[in-house]
Amino acid sequence: MKPIACVLLVASALGSVAFPAAGADMTGKEVFDHYCTYCHGSDDGPGTVQLRRTRGKDQALLSARTNLSADYVEYVVRHGLKSMPPFAPSDLTDAKLKALVAFLSARRSQN
Amino acid sequence: MAEPLPPGVNADRMADALDRFRKIVGSDAVFTGEDVASYHDPYTISNDPNRYRAHAALAPSSTEQVQQIVRVANELSIPLWTVSRGKNFAYGGAAPVLSGSVVLDLSRMNRILEVNEKFGYALVEPGVSYFDLYKYIQERGLKLWLDVPDPGWGSVVGNALDHGVGYTPYGDHFGMQCGMEVVLANGDLVRTGMGAMPGNNTWQLFKYGFGPYVDGIFSQSNFGIVTKMGIWLMPEPAGYRPYLITFPRAEDIEQVVEIVRALRLNNVLQNAATIRSLVLDAALFTTKSQYYSGPGPIPDSVAQQIMADQDIGMWNFCGALYGPPPLTDLLWTATRDAFAKIPGVKFYFPEDRKRRPDILIHRADTMRGIPKLTEFGFLNWNGGGGHVGFSPVSPITGADAIKQFRMVSGRVREYGFDYLGLMAVGFRELHHVTVIVYDQSDPKERQKLNELFGLMVREAAAEGYGEYRTHIHYMDTIAGTYNWNNNALMKMHQRIKDALDPNGILSPGKSGIWPRHLREGNKT
Repeated sequence: MKPIACVLLVASALGSVAFPAAGADMTGKEVFDHYCTYCHGSDDGPGTVQLRRTRGKDQALLSARTNLSADYVEYVVRHGLKSMPPFAPSDLTDAKLKALVAFLSARRSQN
Repeated sequence: MAEPLPPGVNADRMADALDRFRKIVGSDAVFTGEDVASYHDPYTISNDPNRYRAHAALAPSSTEQVQQIVRVANELSIPLWTVSRGKNFAYGGAAPVLSGSVVLDLSRMNRILEVNEKFGYALVEPGVSYFDLYKYIQERGLKLWLDVPDPGWGSVVGNALDHGVGYTPYGDHFGMQCGMEVVLANGDLVRTGMGAMPGNNTWQLFKYGFGPYVDGIFSQSNFGIVTKMGIWLMPEPAGYRPYLITFPRAEDIEQVVEIVRALRLNNVLQNAATIRSLVLDAALFTTKSQYYSGPGPIPDSVAQQIMADQDIGMWNFCGALYGPPPLTDLLWTATRDAFAKIPGVKFYFPEDRKRRPDILIHRADTMRGIPKLTEFGFLNWNGGGGHVGFSPVSPITGADAIKQFRMVSGRVREYGFDYLGLMAVGFRELHHVTVIVYDQSDPKERQKLNELFGLMVREAAAEGYGEYRTHIHYMDTIAGTYNWNNNALMKMHQRIKDALDPNGILSPGKSGIWPRHLREGNKT
């Protein structure tokens, strides 16, 4: 996909300005903030509550986890887990997933 | 397991189609094999692993690509299952009704083409989420509010097309739609309403244009692919005051709804307010195991404990006042006085709520159009993860409300589930939405749910109640209940389908509408 070319094409066709809604090049932290924080970013987010229930208080907040492997993160994002639905590669692209995996598994790598 | 092929299509023809699709959208936008997993229904109901499985998915980035795709699909008889963003999770997600379909995922068509503050509208593509549009408006400081459904990651276009509802005065999303661009099955491009006139500047201002108003036939349908849509946005009001009114007894719903009707029809009640059940609200921030570890639904004693603990009622009416304070003060007085006659009623504004997290603090965001995912918290109630919505429509009468409540909650509890229901107040009707939360990993529970759902559909239909929206697993079932005059409406749908999509490539089975060659029991 070439967002700029598409934007210009549509702008010309409609006589108005078009904007891409989501950036293509994002850091792992940006991907996490964009896709994950609504459920996993706070103590009372649905994802945090689920993890607290299934894995305990110390494992509830995703960004603080130190035991997330790259393969596990990748699998859960693409397949979902319990109440979490999967994320399709059309939106959360492989490149974004790679950045996200690196971000979430970094703490494990440091251990 | 290998991804299935659609009826009448062999592996070679599908491979040919996918090659041609790759030339249109690029190889990185055609998904096969393991990459198709994210297009499965994450909360499946069926115990048949071969049902509702896509063969592949493709994600075009422009209307022109969609036109090229449907021409190839027509030539090779490849069924396409269109999703805007595929986030319609209580109703099947991105999964197709017909196994073997190729999902046409419009997520990459995510351009916000125009947001007009002066007239209060946006023109967007189907891949634009509520989060996207909200962020866009906030970043530019525009004095406009969205109307959002509970999950903010869904498509603005897709939700309106599926007749989704929100909670501001603009809560009827399809009612707020104005002007579409549609790719027909043969690749023709159509603009509806005023958009049909070259040079016209009221496409997003006047719905009807000239001649038949056709936008409705592209909602909950498989007659075309909507690639652009106008949606009206609410000007930021001069004031905003959300409130919560709680009622202590289940039977209060009858009197509450009688009062709601008078308030709504006279526009004292301004927004698409909701009357929410105890467990639905409790489940947002707590789990069942915190209160009850026994089998089946919670007993009344536990319900009383939850009410006291969370300072909520058996029913919780979440509404809001919009406008300058002199106006909202008057509206509040009329609203409060109307409900004050119900014994045990309690009134709250956000400043009265001390517990965190809290239902009113949360709903105060939603009723001003801030997109969130907080409502997904109810999936944690029993830990099973699965959910499905049962959504019959009711008149705004106390008799209908309590009848529906007793019918649905009685059956749900009989089958061992808790009742998580709400009644969303429309202009003249209630959407009675019950979410059944179940253990999706347990085949027996899925079977039990399926039996329950079918029973509720039949019982509701026998009383004249129809569902406004449903999961892919029940589209034929629900369509079958709209059968007045020997299925006259479905026969008309089929004639439109045959005329617009003679090869039946667009979303076969959507809303129970099948193309001619799949109508005679050759669906899977």
